[in-house]
Amino acid sequence: MNTRLLLLTTAIAGVILPEASGQFAKPWTPPKTPWGDPDLQGMWPGNMGVPLQRPEKLGNRATLTDEEFAQKEAQARKQAEVDSKSTAASDSKTTIGPPSYWVERGTPTRQTSLIIDPPNGRLPPLTPEEQKLRKEARGGKGFPGEWRGQADSVDDLNIYYRCITRGVLGSIIPVVYNNGNEILQAPGLVIIRNEMIHETRVIPLDGRPHLNPAIRQYMGDSRGHWEGNTLVIETTNFTDEDAIGSNGAGYPGDPGHHSADLKLTERLTRVAADTLNYQATIDDPKTWTKPWTILIPLHKNDHYQLLEYACHEGNIAMGDILSGARAEERKETK
Amino acid sequence: MRTRLAMVAAAAGLLLAVSPAWAHHAFQAEFDSSKPVHLTGTVTDMEWINPHSWIHIDVKNPDGTVTNWMVECGSPNIMLRRGFTKRSLEVGTELTIQGYQAKNGTNRANGSSVTFKDGRKLFVGGSNPDIPPDQK
Amino acid sequence: MRNLVHTTIAASAAVVVLLLAAAPAPAQSSSYRPPRAPDGHADLSGIYEALNTANWDLEDHSPQPGTMWQTGAIGSEPAGSSVVEGGTIPYKPEALEKKKVNFANRRTNDPEAKCYMPGIPRANYMPYPFQIVQTPRGIMFVYEFASANRLVNMGKPEEAGSDTWMGTNNGHWEGDTLVVDVTGLNGLAWFDRAGDFGGKQLHVVERYSRPDPYHLNYEATIEDPTVFTRPWKISMPLYRRVEKNAQLLEFKCVEFVEELLYGQYKKQPAK
Repeated sequence: MNTRLLLLTTAIAGVILPEASGQFAKPWTPPKTPWGDPDLQGMWPGNMGVPLQRPEKLGNRATLTDEEFAQKEAQARKQAEVDSKSTAASDSKTTIGPPSYWVERGTPTRQTSLIIDPPNGRLPPLTPEEQKLRKEARGGKGFPGEWRGQADSVDDLNIYYRCITRGVLGSIIPVVYNNGNEILQAPGLVIIRNEMIHETRVIPLDGRPHLNPAIRQYMGDSRGHWEGNTLVIETTNFTDEDAIGSNGAGYPGDPGHHSADLKLTERLTRVAADTLNYQATIDDPKTWTKPWTILIPLHKNDHYQLLEYACHEGNIAMGDILSGARAEERKETK
Repeated sequence: MRTRLAMVAAAAGLLLAVSPAWAHHAFQAEFDSSKPVHLTGTVTDMEWINPHSWIHIDVKNPDGTVTNWMVECGSPNIMLRRGFTKRSLEVGTELTIQGYQAKNGTNRANGSSVTFKDGRKLFVGGSNPDIPPDQK
Repeated sequence: MRNLVHTTIAASAAVVVLLLAAAPAPAQSSSYRPPRAPDGHADLSGIYEALNTANWDLEDHSPQPGTMWQTGAIGSEPAGSSVVEGGTIPYKPEALEKKKVNFANRRTNDPEAKCYMPGIPRANYMPYPFQIVQTPRGIMFVYEFASANRLVNMGKPEEAGSDTWMGTNNGHWEGDTLVVDVTGLNGLAWFDRAGDFGGKQLHVVERYSRPDPYHLNYEATIEDPTVFTRPWKISMPLYRRVEKNAQLLEFKCVEFVEELLYGQYKKQPAK
């Protein structure tokens, strides 16, 4: 494994998560399941609050200084106060956005960006082919992504609004709510459950080959194996219909659309009793000129209830968005 | 409120998270910012469903007729984790809703503000709530 | 000498009789002992699929046309025998009327057509494989159809805060039989394509056992006092998928039903 990345992830874990800090010299050994695999089982909900890309001003710094972190914590506290007031006051101004009680905010951490490689914490450039593809998609409308005012059909709405899937990375990059992730294990298998949108990844560890290339899946096709105490998952056979960032929809500034040739390598290492380092390397030479890697430290919380998120079944908004657009058009033609 | 939010956001700029994907869908796509509604009614049903839960309320119109409205709320998973259950909101409870009507003209609105008769906010309590982005 | 021979023959005969008596009976559930999972219980893990027409209709049904003549024989319904103990589902009269309405509108109203999660018990006899994985955190049921899934809690029974499509599942072992008590179902799923259904008080108790290496026996007792006059039971074998490297594939299906659900709201090209 890339030594620099290993040192970096251990360092980040050590600074962000005090429990792991004493372990830099001596890696923590997880307990084993009854059949002898490293035990990663548990509920590992995501913690929102780390941007995917690092602000340029922070350069190559993977962690905040004490002063910067104190500032971040203070701002989070201030924001929470303002939010509480707006939620509790019965005469608070109403906006057309979602109200404050809808969210499960995370707790601030020192990580400056989810991207840890390239060293500046920012995306490598897009290939010229991908830039052209994004401009010319859907006859020049571009990929759906963030809603930009058009709703001619479901094709104008992103894959998350349509309740299809958030994709592999979209299902684990923390967002405003429902960041439940659960890991279960059995001999020869690891299961990763993501709350939104009720994904269950059943990952065989028996060395069987991937599906043939003619079969493509939104969630790809995963195969796992152990490297020491790290679970390595290699996923191929993707479609190109989800994006990376913003629930798999890809908003401006997000990594966005990836090709079907994406090869995703995830590395899960339990670095402390209640800390699981989730690392993922995105290797898609058709889209980005270099592979890039994210690190999402996950904190164990077995009180977190991972609940059913039946999205499509209750997607009243989809019909309303489309019929609303038709109603507005009828008004304009009058 | 707006200025204060802008100040907090500006100060937060570098160190807070970049704007996350807000909720399930763009509200401006579903609801009409030129049609604010202020409804008072009694609960007839609560649908604890994703991606958005819905409160059904009977609203008495000025002419004495009754209209049933559907009010869009958050993902029930959040509420359930805060300790609310399907039994938390009883049929017959009186609520006041502030929101905006659906663009398609149906009796649906987003529940930007949902309060009991005495002014207490429904679903208050628990972990840090968030500020909705201001709409220009 | 002769007495010794006679005695030996008699003794041998006796031994042969004893051996014959102890010989294994032809393959019966009572004599097969499933392998053990790491926790010592019977291991039911594997990929399974039903091979009957229960998903078309739980009750006896003749072959009949489907809902769209354009699909010819492909969309038509094969015949099948009832999987319901006693043959018919004991509906209350008003519920039976509702079933008939469901049937008449099944092309648009069957939640399966809309790619909604199939609920319990239907998920277990859809024409798609599902996988059982026994883990220390509970028993996972993963269904290929619509990526539906449920985790059966094997610890202290838990109650649901709200009703869901796949229910709240509390399980325990009775010997080598897995018993799953399913509550908290939202009453929106159907039991088959014929419009059979349960209501908001639906309660299902399932029993899974492994009579031999290649099958599960599946039974489900279904009750809902708002719909049925009494509890009733279905039962069927489930067949293990024995292909090398068998795995569930993806069938999210939402993208296949958007025209059905939202096509009417599409912007029509200017005429």
